[in-house]
Amino acid sequence: MKKATNWKWLILSLAMAAVLFVGLGEGALASDNILIVAKDTEAEGFDPHTVPAASSIQIYSRIYEGLVGFNSAGEIVPELAESWEILDDTTYKFNLRQGVKFHNGREMTSADVKYSFERMIDPDVASLARSYFDMVEEIETPDDYTVIFHLDGPFADFMINIGHTYARIVPQEVIDEHGDLMNVAVGTGPFQLAEWVPDNYTLLTAFEDYWQEGIPRVDGVRYLIMEDESAQMAAIRTGHAHITDISPEGARILQGRPGVNVVEYPSFDYTYLAFNVTEPPFDNPKVRLALSYALDRELLAQVVYDGYARVTGPVPPSQEVWAVDISEYPSYETNPARARELLQEAGYNNDLSFTITSSPAYPWLVDTAVMVQEQLAGVGVDVEIKMVEWGTYIDTWINRTHQAMVGRNGAGSTPERALYFFFHTNGGANVWGFSDERFDELVEKARVVVDQGERAAIYAEAQKLLVNELAPNLFLNSPSQFYIASEDIEGFEPTPYMSEGLFPYITIEN
Amino acid sequence: MEIREYIIKRILALIPLTLGITFLVFVAINFVPGDPVRIFLGIEGTEELAEQIRQQLGLDQPLLFRYFHWLGQLLQGDLGYSLLTRLPVSYELATRFMVTMQLAFFGMIFSVSLALPIGIASAIRQNTVSDFFIRIFALIGVSIPNFALGVLLILFLSNVFNWHPPIGFVNIWNNPVMALQILVLPVIALGTGMAGSVSRMTRSAMLEVLRQDYIRTARSKGLPERLIIYRHAFRNALIPILTLVGLQLGYLLGGAVIVEQIFSLPGLGRLLLTGIHNRDYPVVMGCVLVIAIVFALVNTVVDILYTFVDPRIKYQ
Repeated sequence: MKKATNWKWLILSLAMAAVLFVGLGEGALASDNILIVAKDTEAEGFDPHTVPAASSIQIYSRIYEGLVGFNSAGEIVPELAESWEILDDTTYKFNLRQGVKFHNGREMTSADVKYSFERMIDPDVASLARSYFDMVEEIETPDDYTVIFHLDGPFADFMINIGHTYARIVPQEVIDEHGDLMNVAVGTGPFQLAEWVPDNYTLLTAFEDYWQEGIPRVDGVRYLIMEDESAQMAAIRTGHAHITDISPEGARILQGRPGVNVVEYPSFDYTYLAFNVTEPPFDNPKVRLALSYALDRELLAQVVYDGYARVTGPVPPSQEVWAVDISEYPSYETNPARARELLQEAGYNNDLSFTITSSPAYPWLVDTAVMVQEQLAGVGVDVEIKMVEWGTYIDTWINRTHQAMVGRNGAGSTPERALYFFFHTNGGANVWGFSDERFDELVEKARVVVDQGERAAIYAEAQKLLVNELAPNLFLNSPSQFYIASEDIEGFEPTPYMSEGLFPYITIEN
Repeated sequence: MEIREYIIKRILALIPLTLGITFLVFVAINFVPGDPVRIFLGIEGTEELAEQIRQQLGLDQPLLFRYFHWLGQLLQGDLGYSLLTRLPVSYELATRFMVTMQLAFFGMIFSVSLALPIGIASAIRQNTVSDFFIRIFALIGVSIPNFALGVLLILFLSNVFNWHPPIGFVNIWNNPVMALQILVLPVIALGTGMAGSVSRMTRSAMLEVLRQDYIRTARSKGLPERLIIYRHAFRNALIPILTLVGLQLGYLLGGAVIVEQIFSLPGLGRLLLTGIHNRDYPVVMGCVLVIAIVFALVNTVVDILYTFVDPRIKYQ
């Protein structure tokens, strides 16, 4: 009898083993024409007006649309507005596309546009988009397909802001029913939200009544949450996912492997060494400039990003027409002698020491801090690195309890954000306590100049002033970003202006 | 009769215990630096906007007020809403609970069904070659961290066999084949450490018992060796093993946090980790509550099991 039991167990375990390995070796994607995207962070809800998390934007940007959008070259292109006219400095008229349907089947009209922008501006909604549209005085809707914006003064970046990810057109009845758009999503975009199982997957399906014929080319997008990068890479290689974004190290490992395409493109991000400019020793611009001479930014790019990064000023080189060439920044020349000289002028003789706050949340934050420490040691500056958890890091940054810190900014697609937002005395992200009248004047002037050439000249002056004299931050590297895609993916060529926005245009070859 | 009383007593004792735990965790997470609204906003948004959102979420209220508010809602069966996704915490927990429980359950089955036979074999063949190898295995099992084993398994299978388990999670009764495919690697990664320590415990407990007089008596009576091992020795060695398994289940729940991360399983551990990272207080509290209750229940069950394994044990 005992014998019989043993046999039963053996057979059972063999059967289980057989079951487990059925399908081994076969990648077997769930459905053939569904694009499968591995992402490392779960969305934090889908309300385009209130959620700034990149993990959410990735998804709601496929569901909602704005009046205008950007193409791969960063030019403004029609989206829900078929055309627009700038009637004068403060009046913008948009002619809406006719017959555009929301995912609930209702036609989108000028009333929806008016409602959406008023929702963004409403203080009770606490929308992030509010600061982008606080110059809007009135929105007029003469008929169902015309919207006119009246501004309280000229604002050069208005069209850019209209194309912003947050400036999406939403249907009022859905918000009236659910209170907000956190867990429901009804837009006009190429994909609609079919299923959201938090931490497991999000399924978008193609919207059949989408206004653009033949788009999207896939039947849907399935986002899978995979936090671990080695798991992401394995999933792409074994055919369980088509696309994922990836770190430079991951990209280097997979470079040249068969079956996988590594796609590199420049970003609008840059790393920086920031100072608390309200307290010694960094209230003295000479000290800040001295440190700039002590750094070797090219070497930083090599070590921190394996060379997949460019040396940058406050406006990254990827903002092509706006960025000043780094040859115009004398302090970008590594010159320890000049650094020591400036430090001496400021009263330091091999006795400057300070703390850099960084966080182990990202490898490049750690590497940048360590490299800066090492390079500054070369001119007799003693740096201590303080590593803090991410939440504490953000606290430090907001409350300015640091002496210096390394970090990474998203400079956006225009200098308005790269310069005004971070460094104007009243800039929304000026947490450095930095203030300079000449600089403020320049970026204020550029805000209202509509001619691009004239504007670029003013911004160039502001950038040179910022880097060559004021140095509130030392701008370091603008890293590349990477996607890996399986080789059956066609039509995915991301640029800094357009990456996952290309999903509706992708085809999967079988 | 007396055991029923004992069970009721134990379960009643859970109430102050879990309340104490929730209070400690609530205070601790609120004293950790970092502000959920600021983490949510990142570099976007002004302090004015942040303040508005804090008011919307009730985060501007004093700490104790918020705790008792949370407790009051809990008594009505309401765990609140996630600060980030605004989903009900009870929903967030419900979708994750089965994942972690299945992982821990199969992890336990895997490790116990591996550890007991090899532990016994190792004891009865003490100091032979097979004993030596089993002890090496057990030592490796105890020593290798589950995250390292997990990553090694993924890399090995994807590089050598080009195989990767399906991603995501399906319930075992919806699609047993896929569920087992998904769970096999995490279960191995999670259960190996426990298998190592349980087999070591089994071996030493067996050795201890095998030296007892009654085993010699049984042998001299001429009982078959199999009977001696299973009925006389193993049953008496079971108490320390059971205690260890009960304790290890707690560690399985803890280990699940990391293993879920590596294998992209949407479980409680992952929810807790993201919750802590984002200072999503209601989610953290919900997770802690559930894990504390499960942990305490498991220990209660183990205590009760003692009476079945060893009828001499009585509870007053």
